[in-house]
Amino acid sequence: MLKNSVFLVCIKKRKATIVTHCCFQSEIVMTRNHLQGKVAEMENFAGHLEEIFLTVEENFGRREQHLEQHYNDVLQTLSQRYDERAAGLEEEKKSKLEALYRQLLACGQALDASKELIETAQEIYRSRDKRLFLKVCPDLKLSTHLELNTPLADLSDVKTMMDSINVVPAPSAPVINPQMPNSATQTSLRVCWSLFSDDTVEYYELYYRPVLEDMPADSTLPSPPVIKQRECTSCPEAALIRWESGNTNPVDSYNVELSEMGTDGTESGVTESIVAVPTCQCLIQLQTGQRYLISVRAVNIGGPSDRSDVIIVSTTGTFFHLLEETAHPCLSISEDGFTMFYGDEELSISAMAFDDNTFTRCVAVLGDLIPVRGRHYWEVEVDDGTEFRIGVAYMDTERSSYLGANNTSWCMRHILTPTRHKYEFLHNGWSPDLRITVNPVRIGVALDYERGTLSFFNVDLEQHLHTFHCHFQSYVHPCFGLDNPGALTVHNSIEAPEYTFT
Amino acid sequence: MALTQVSSNKCAGGFQKVFEHDSTELKCKMKFAVYLPPKAETGKCPVMYWLSGLTCTEQNFITKAGSQLAAAEHGIIIVAPDTSPRGCDIEGENESWDFGTGAGFYVDATEDPWKTNYRMYSYVTEELPKLINANFPTDPDRTSISGHSMGGHGALICALKNPGKYKAVSAFAPICNPVQCPWGQKAFSGYLGSDRSTWEAYDATVLAASYSGPQLDILIDQGRDDQFLSASQLLPDNLIAVCSEKKIPVVFRLQPGYDHSYFFIYSFMNDHIKHHAKFLNA
Repeated sequence: MLKNSVFLVCIKKRKATIVTHCCFQSEIVMTRNHLQGKVAEMENFAGHLEEIFLTVEENFGRREQHLEQHYNDVLQTLSQRYDERAAGLEEEKKSKLEALYRQLLACGQALDASKELIETAQEIYRSRDKRLFLKVCPDLKLSTHLELNTPLADLSDVKTMMDSINVVPAPSAPVINPQMPNSATQTSLRVCWSLFSDDTVEYYELYYRPVLEDMPADSTLPSPPVIKQRECTSCPEAALIRWESGNTNPVDSYNVELSEMGTDGTESGVTESIVAVPTCQCLIQLQTGQRYLISVRAVNIGGPSDRSDVIIVSTTGTFFHLLEETAHPCLSISEDGFTMFYGDEELSISAMAFDDNTFTRCVAVLGDLIPVRGRHYWEVEVDDGTEFRIGVAYMDTERSSYLGANNTSWCMRHILTPTRHKYEFLHNGWSPDLRITVNPVRIGVALDYERGTLSFFNVDLEQHLHTFHCHFQSYVHPCFGLDNPGALTVHNSIEAPEYTFT
Repeated sequence: MALTQVSSNKCAGGFQKVFEHDSTELKCKMKFAVYLPPKAETGKCPVMYWLSGLTCTEQNFITKAGSQLAAAEHGIIIVAPDTSPRGCDIEGENESWDFGTGAGFYVDATEDPWKTNYRMYSYVTEELPKLINANFPTDPDRTSISGHSMGGHGALICALKNPGKYKAVSAFAPICNPVQCPWGQKAFSGYLGSDRSTWEAYDATVLAASYSGPQLDILIDQGRDDQFLSASQLLPDNLIAVCSEKKIPVVFRLQPGYDHSYFFIYSFMNDHIKHHAKFLNA
């Protein structure tokens, strides 16, 4: 273009001056030649470009083909491998399932076998000839050792006793009361005994023999049982006493002896005994508002053991201990067993030992309330700043759920909100909407099985807070939970104030 | 102080009666209802006064609240007066349902033309108890008070203004802070005049803030679907805030689904009588 414009300028100039025509012509020729040269050069360049383009295109095509092939190869390999793996896993799964099923079958069979065994054992046990049971027992394939090294002489005794059982069951051994002062003269002796009320007795046979000095100790006498203080519970109408046999000698039954304690703290002699208790616990009906001294003796054919240690039971109010085995791992319980703490420090997972009986989510614990369908009252001391749940629950209440969130627990809940203290009375996750203007720091809980009520009171104000109405189908137990770090103290053995059961 | 028996019906083993008398405080004939439990035939019984709400007479409570069985069980005499003087021929007395007849608001009016007759506070705290104690087998030392809406306001102020006079107090959907609500403002400006400081002597929330006396234990039930709660006529939150601060024991129960009617009162009457019995029979 530049050349062209020069050319045009030249033309214009030619118009202007014809004189200089000749010298211009030679210049034009030169320029034309020059231009022709340039055009040839450009054509050459274009040719080169075309060649390069073709080469590049060809190369791309080849590359594409190559990549595609490679990609297909990879895909094929992958799918092949996937199929192989899947097949492997399927087989493994199948074999594992089969193994599990076999185990399940074996387990079921074992269960059936055990059941049969138990039934057979029960049947044999129920049959009149008790010796059959003893004979068959060693055949039971149980892991526990069941062989009894009964001396032959004892067996003959048993046989005579067995033969004497006809229609009426033999009465239990009467219990001879301690000798009363002034009940004997030089020639006579008054002997008193108590009998087990379920027995039918035609007559008593009284045996006696003179006591020889230095009589050898009878080695077959059982040793005294040990009362489990922490597992004894009571209410105004009754007490539940639990003990350990503490015996290696055979024990036939236990006798529970109780005596009322006078106001001056003195014992008034054995006033009542419950004999032939077959198990290591006994529910005793008592009078309200008294104090009793209770002890246990183990009895076998050789006679009764010495008295166990004495436990004092007061029937002014309901008394129970906490079931520490139900406590959430974060809940610690004081030595006296009545104050529980939820500490600030976080427990590591490994330190949280849960078993089937512990609360796993709600930091809570159950109390061991006596199984008596009467009236029970206890108090709980709380702190204004503690978020708590207090109430009752069935023994089988879900351990992974919060108290009050299910239909097996009833509780009063205190929640701290940024603006106020909130109180809920929760059952099955629902609470009535109510406001309480004075925060209770000592809460009275009154349970009445007969009326089917569970009431809460502010003890300091004698103020009624709420009553649940529910006919508790089975026995309930006190429950206590903490929703934030803090403490709760249970107060037991308190006489229910008059306003609680009106 | 002669009483004329208007009606007598055997009820729950006792008697539901209505009497009429000439009131010296109100200067008109007044009716009141009295329930006498079976126990009143043989001995002295405690008395619970029931103050009714706007537009009510002595009839509403005794025909709708279902209180008699529980009163018989606990041996409590229940006295239910009318809610205002009647037939005094005061101009404007019958113009509106929330002022004048049926709306005495349990105050002693100081303004003309109301001050001669509208002395419901003195009537329910002085004249009526004297009359009851003189004519029925009561134990004057065992008295309590309860009421509904305007009567709930009445019950609360009677208890707060007379420490120790009433052994127990409870209320259904009470007007808790009348100086702050339209009903109260209309009634108080009419009966007491424009000086708001005189209104405070009849306002439960104001009275609670300065209460000193024997420990109270107040039970209040309130329907959550009460139209007058949402219309800010009742204002229970104000009373609860003051009682929380002053540590006056209140249990306030917001009952879902219930309105302002006697159906609501009937539903919780037993709880209230039991609450009164706890203190009256202690």
